[in-house]
Amino acid sequence: MRAMYLANYFVAGCIASSLLGWIASLHPMAFRAIAFLLVALGIVWTAAWLLDYSLSQFLKISIQQLQAVLVSVIAFLIIGLGVFLCS
Amino acid sequence: MLLKLIVLSSASLTLWLVPLVGLDKKVGWHKGIQGASLCAALACAVSAGNIARQLADESEIQELKTRAIKADVEDEIATEVYVSQAQRQQEAEAILNPVERLERALALSCEDEDSTPNVQNEIQAEDAEERRAERVLELKAKGWGKAKIILEVWGVSKGGSQKYKDAETLYERLIRGET
Repeated sequence: MRAMYLANYFVAGCIASSLLGWIASLHPMAFRAIAFLLVALGIVWTAAWLLDYSLSQFLKISIQQLQAVLVSVIAFLIIGLGVFLCS
Repeated sequence: MLLKLIVLSSASLTLWLVPLVGLDKKVGWHKGIQGASLCAALACAVSAGNIARQLADESEIQELKTRAIKADVEDEIATEVYVSQAQRQQEAEAILNPVERLERALALSCEDEDSTPNVQNEIQAEDAEERRAERVLELKAKGWGKAKIILEVWGVSKGGSQKYKDAETLYERLIRGET
């Protein structure tokens, strides 16, 4: 059941990424805003990888859990945007 | 609850993939339907995730309860086994105690029997010594000689033997009244 709820949240992340892609396709300004959001997310994601030890202590989770979250984030972003762009 | 979870999960996947693949992005109303279905799919996925999380927590609690019950039962069984073992031990001790008492009593009586001969021998030896002294004094009063008295009382004839010398020493002591 634990795997199922993690899978559902992962699918929700994928759908959210596709929704971001859909919003970006509505208007050039929306595209810029989403591009800015994605760049900011990329910076935060990289910083989180660099500061994983202190961040895991701050969030009170293990490093493995933090790394799993970070990998999941990049995975559902790629999958969600990939599905939207390729469809 | 599980059925709802399955329906929501499959609905989220369907609402995510089918409009994106099946509808044209260049058509206005198609695009609108895609956006709406993506929002619905996101809501379904989040709901399904929440339900699955709730079920996971409940199953974890249930597992903990089962473990606790199992541990209680094991503990109870162990206590019962311990108590019954202690009861059996007490019963066995209760059965064995009279036997032990008898054995101890018998051992004491055996010890008494063992020690009795020594005491009796000592008493007998003292009696014999007294009788011998009385006899010696009696014969002396009758006017018997030393060699004759020793021969009569100790059964040793006069000579240089060690037995005669010992008997002579005892005779001298008795005469002097050292006993």
